[in-house]
Amino acid sequence: MAGELDTFPRLLLHHAQVRPDRPAIREKDLGIWQTWTWREVEGEVRALACGLAAQGFKRGMSLAIIGENRPRLYWAMAAAQSLGGIPVPIYQDAVAQEMVYVFHNADIEYALVEDQEQVDKLLEIMPQCPQLAHIYFDDPRGMRHYAQTALMSFDNLQAIGRDFDGRNPEYFADEVAKGSATDIASMFYTSGTTGSPKGVTHTHQALIAAGRAGAEMEGLDPSDEVLAYLPMAWIGQNIFSYTQSYVVGFCISCPESAETVGTDMREIGPTYYFAPPRVLEALLTQVSIRIQDLWWGGRKAYAFFMDLARRVGGKILDGRPVPLADRLLYLLGNAFMYGPLRNVLGMSRVKVAYTAGEAIGPDLFVFFRSIGINLKQLYGSTETAVFVCVQPNGQVKSDTVGPPVKGVEVKVAESGEILIRSPGLFSEYHKNPEATAEAKDAEGWFHTGDAGYFDKDRHLKIIDRAKDVGRLADGTLFAPKYLENKLKFFPYIQEAVCFGQQRDQVCAFINIDFEAVGNWAERRNQAYSGYADLGAQQSVYNLIRECVEKVNQDLAADPTLGGSQIHRFLVLHKELDPDDGEITRTRKVRRGFIAEKYAPLVDALYGGKHECFIETQVRFEDGRAGSISATLRIADAKTYPVEAAKKAA
Amino acid sequence: MLKKNWPVVALIALLVAGLVAPLATGASAVGFYVEVLLGGLMAGVLYSLVALGFVLIFKASGVFNFAQGAMVLFAALAVARMAEVMPWWLAAALAVVIMVILAWLIERLVLRPLVNQEAIALLMATLGVTYFLDGFGQTVWGSDIYEINLGIAKEPVMILDRLFQGGILVNKEDFVAAIAAAALVAGLALFFQKTPTGRALRAVADDHQAAQSIGIPLNRIWVIVWSVAGVVALVAGVIWGAKLGVQFSISQVALKALPVVILGGFTSVPGAIIGGLIIGVGEKMAEVFLGPVLVKAFDLAGGGIENWFAYMLALLFLLVRPEGLFGEKHIDRV
Amino acid sequence: MQHARKIGEPILTVEGVSLAFGGVRALQNVSFDVREHEIRAIIGPNGAGKSSMLNVINGVYHPQDGKITFAGKVRQHVDPHEAAARGIARTFQSLALFKGMSVLDNIMTGRNLKMRANLLLQALRIGPALREEIEHRAAVERIIDFLEIQAYRKTPVGRLPYGLQKRVDLARALALEPRVLLLDEPMAGMNVEEKQDMCRFILDVNDQFGTTIVLIEHDMSVVMDISDRVVVLDYGRKIADGTPDAVRNDQAVIDAYLGVSH
Repeated sequence: MAGELDTFPRLLLHHAQVRPDRPAIREKDLGIWQTWTWREVEGEVRALACGLAAQGFKRGMSLAIIGENRPRLYWAMAAAQSLGGIPVPIYQDAVAQEMVYVFHNADIEYALVEDQEQVDKLLEIMPQCPQLAHIYFDDPRGMRHYAQTALMSFDNLQAIGRDFDGRNPEYFADEVAKGSATDIASMFYTSGTTGSPKGVTHTHQALIAAGRAGAEMEGLDPSDEVLAYLPMAWIGQNIFSYTQSYVVGFCISCPESAETVGTDMREIGPTYYFAPPRVLEALLTQVSIRIQDLWWGGRKAYAFFMDLARRVGGKILDGRPVPLADRLLYLLGNAFMYGPLRNVLGMSRVKVAYTAGEAIGPDLFVFFRSIGINLKQLYGSTETAVFVCVQPNGQVKSDTVGPPVKGVEVKVAESGEILIRSPGLFSEYHKNPEATAEAKDAEGWFHTGDAGYFDKDRHLKIIDRAKDVGRLADGTLFAPKYLENKLKFFPYIQEAVCFGQQRDQVCAFINIDFEAVGNWAERRNQAYSGYADLGAQQSVYNLIRECVEKVNQDLAADPTLGGSQIHRFLVLHKELDPDDGEITRTRKVRRGFIAEKYAPLVDALYGGKHECFIETQVRFEDGRAGSISATLRIADAKTYPVEAAKKAA
Repeated sequence: MLKKNWPVVALIALLVAGLVAPLATGASAVGFYVEVLLGGLMAGVLYSLVALGFVLIFKASGVFNFAQGAMVLFAALAVARMAEVMPWWLAAALAVVIMVILAWLIERLVLRPLVNQEAIALLMATLGVTYFLDGFGQTVWGSDIYEINLGIAKEPVMILDRLFQGGILVNKEDFVAAIAAAALVAGLALFFQKTPTGRALRAVADDHQAAQSIGIPLNRIWVIVWSVAGVVALVAGVIWGAKLGVQFSISQVALKALPVVILGGFTSVPGAIIGGLIIGVGEKMAEVFLGPVLVKAFDLAGGGIENWFAYMLALLFLLVRPEGLFGEKHIDRV
Repeated sequence: MQHARKIGEPILTVEGVSLAFGGVRALQNVSFDVREHEIRAIIGPNGAGKSSMLNVINGVYHPQDGKITFAGKVRQHVDPHEAAARGIARTFQSLALFKGMSVLDNIMTGRNLKMRANLLLQALRIGPALREEIEHRAAVERIIDFLEIQAYRKTPVGRLPYGLQKRVDLARALALEPRVLLLDEPMAGMNVEEKQDMCRFILDVNDQFGTTIVLIEHDMSVVMDISDRVVVLDYGRKIADGTPDAVRNDQAVIDAYLGVSH
């Protein structure tokens, strides 16, 4: 019904009415923060929508949106939705060819992009996508000589829109009224680890329900501040910065550029924050490096206070009892260390911070909580509009994702796969009924493809992708992702790939973290000439071996997984890269592809060899192809007797 | 890093030890100690002011201004004499105008013709300016000792007598002087950091050629710098003159400023300030506390430490850290 | 390479310029012109006098003979700051940034020429002086945006890597809104990616603002790629003058400098 706040455009109109002068969205441009109020946003969206309408955009059509976080791109989403269209945000660092499939699948005729870089990509694929007829661009820089008729600037589009609006003043309101909660609000393409991407469609109803559930749980209100810095094409970014902003009415801020995110975050001081574990890792690494550069006294003070924080910080955050002496010491630490640290990270005002997407190392997780940042884990996916499980305040553990959110049903199947049913579930995979039928069964349960179980507190624990959970030759459970995560918890290891399905032992590829290992080497006065050279050094292998052996010790303590300790490993000569197809854009490892591409290395690992020559094809940043080759050393790691086995024996 | 700089660290440690020794060994009452300390700080403030003038000119034009002391005297004379026929603040304002004109003349007649000559030629030129100012000043203003009356009581005041036994004797004049100097320094800092002209001055101090190539006229900048140095000299001159009377020996004060810039670094404004304070405090402390110790220990006649302490300290710094605490190491651009 | 602006009449003419330092003859009777809106490269082996030529154009050196005509005005002796006031800006081979200042302050000094408000108003930061400061800050921010150095606005230039320092040098020259921009080896010491970025910026400056550019460059591929015409100097004399292709095939140039083929 038209009067209800059940679609995004109607939510926008509502905010423009009840809080017209409150900030809705900000952008840092030319060094200062420019703000638009809700009323101003309504005006911009209206002009844009009318412009699109005047250009022939109709109900049910899709609008591709490609670029960094910019207010105009967010307005494009709302504008498309106002007309009953479907915004399709696409990753801004996608290579031109990757977009062809999406453009075909979603029948894209209209695209609104940020700058010349994106325009160039679209012009490149236009011959393959003949239906693409309209490209609108925001930043005119470099566009002076482009004469293609399909191109038009954002300003021109809005000018046309204002003109149209003037001649048809009722048009915008009518179109918004025609929208219904069950219309498709957005389409997000999941970067599949196998096969082509799938277009996940969500209705207004689903997104709003999911966003509302999350907002209610955390008590979000219009005074909250959010930094919009993750890719718009990712469902999480949409939920935290678009959906919830519209549901709750808080303001989001777009940073000036990718390099200035840190400074911009400090300036805005967000109260509600999300970061994937790798961003948190990078932040912690930066802090650690700065601490290493302090004088002796500073380092000692840091070690002392961080130790204290590790012991009691989390408890204080959870509201659990802590001895008075420790509490007072913590207060002191808060003034001199934790407070300034939070400030440097830009998290002084964070009330709740989420992380998700990959398992997070317990040390990393505890670090942030110990200095007073309310970091929690959540679980969800593109298909579930993010909020499936969220850890409530006071029940935060480092190795679970929490209980189901209100309104969401979770059950674990016989096979160990996690099934979900919720109002926030997606409608279908666009033009892909087979995949949809595979994922959503007759009773509406979504098969997540993740394996897990509930622990004694009814918190969900994720082990691995269901199809990746395999068995070694002797039947022992083999969960490669679980092992890889444990390895990646070490700062020196950036990425790891484990092999073992139907084999008699587990072996691993390792990518070292260039920054961390480089620093480590420099402190020991070891020279190196680059990534490959650093990784090949004996001392680095010893360092990595220690990490592997620690993981093995951990595994040995778990009877189920103890048999999957890592026996052999090697350090790769190049970082795994999405441009080479080895990992996805969200940095999930493509195990099958890697096993094929690096087959000689895998054979060498299992063949007991001590080194192996490999030549790999790579794609440079400008798109050219080339190859890198190296002889890699293979090392053995110590394994430990498994606990239960010992007890039995 | 510690290992490389051990001589500096040792020297600084020695100074700090000397500073706290009188208190630590109980050789002096706390109240008296604080009095000496304050006295040293206030003297140091004035040294800083004169040194500031040096640093400003050296930074902006690479010229070591031998005439800084003479400028102090000249300005003080101007104020003292004009104040005989008008209120002192009017005299001071007029004196500022005179110093600006002086700066303009120096730039025109001395700096511009010598612009590409060696540093030594410019140094000699400023020496010439010194003698000229001395002589000319005496000719115009007279060579007696003149008074500057700022309307501040000359008697010392007792403060904090509840905190320290017997209280602390503080000279009101010194106190006002310190405030004025601090205000001047703060004002200059703001000027340099926040205004376009200040920025242009910093640019010229950094790299002449580049500054010229972006349109900053060196000549005008030099006039501004020498004017500012002139105003600083004026403030210093008025303060010293009010305290000691305006006389020839004031220009000798400038000689004391030389150890200050050696300590602080020729190109550092904070260096000039801190150097001045160190010298001021060091001198007073040495005179009052070290003197009697030396007399007793070596059976000397005693006294006069104040005359040589600054120079000895400067010598030590030249041996150990020639660029001063805050100065830049000298790098020749090829 | 297409130009939005047509290359116009000569805006800068060098006639019979000779420069000597004591017995060393840096330039001998060099003459060439630079047309408005073009990109002119000056190339030649080391010691050919290229930097000296640039220094003569912007007044750092005064030639013993010859004259320079800029925008219709003839002059032989001009000071660097006068040249800047007339519309000639330059960058330096060895980077002459103001090391003690931040990137923002460095670029702001470039706006000095355009500031009109007097000293006292500036010191008090009120009225027209404040308005001016804001205007200039906006102009500088646009340059920072143009050269993509937003993340480093407040960083002291001494702490930046070399490639970024070169960009700040360029930014400072751009702040003068010059008619002619003299670039002294803008890509010296840069890696491939940095060179590509710098080429892009130079082309953008020429295209977007119509600035005439005279640049000294050693990298032949860059010269061939972006310049409209080339002057070749050797031992202080001009030995060739023409389009990149013509110069590349000129025998005298090949003999002096490029080797057999390049």
